[in-house]
Amino acid sequence: MVYITSWDDFVDRSVQLFRADPDSTRYVMKYRHCDGKLVLKVTDNKECLKFKTDQAQDVKKMEKLNNLFFTLMSRGPDADVSEVTGKEQTEARAGKKGRGRKQ
Amino acid sequence: MVLLQLDPFLNELTTLYQNSTDKGSIWVTLKRSSMKSKVQRNKMTTNGEPIEYRCLIRATDGKKTISTSVGARDHQRFQASYATILKAHMTALKKRERKDKKKAAESDKKEGDVKKKPKRV
Repeated sequence: MVYITSWDDFVDRSVQLFRADPDSTRYVMKYRHCDGKLVLKVTDNKECLKFKTDQAQDVKKMEKLNNLFFTLMSRGPDADVSEVTGKEQTEARAGKKGRGRKQ
Repeated sequence: MVLLQLDPFLNELTTLYQNSTDKGSIWVTLKRSSMKSKVQRNKMTTNGEPIEYRCLIRATDGKKTISTSVGARDHQRFQASYATILKAHMTALKKRERKDKKKAAESDKKEGDVKKKPKRV
């Protein structure tokens, strides 16, 4: 299995995979502390999507994906995820503004 | 496999992460599940009853497995405490270096733009 390198690509394809077959799609997160590695996997037993990282900055992205999957899985695949995905933009904007004011 | 309540699950997950700092990995799986057997599910669909789905969460270190499930009501509260645990334990990942410099350069550029505009009156 080849790892997907682009995060956005990984998120888009995982959501597509889940929506196509919600009953048999699972999302696995593997964390290895001694090597400092994090692997995310989404599979429906036919197709497998993987993303690997060793960067601390990707933890935030992973949290958003967790959030997305919690929402999709507990509320159903048709759930409105715009609030989960929309958050990213507002947060990014707020961050930039904050930096500007400081200096 | 033990199906736990939300808070005991989070406590157990914390111990799993604590015990795996020297060696070993932790797997956490999220899956959509009705928490019912296939027979029950088939019965319900033939009777036209709606099936309620929850999100099943399983965690393992390869030896011990724990699990819990969240419904639509409590997933947000759970997600928050779950994220806190992850942040607290994923400390072996590398801090960003290059990106910081890039971002600093970016914000400097934006600084310049902001100064041009007379924002404060």
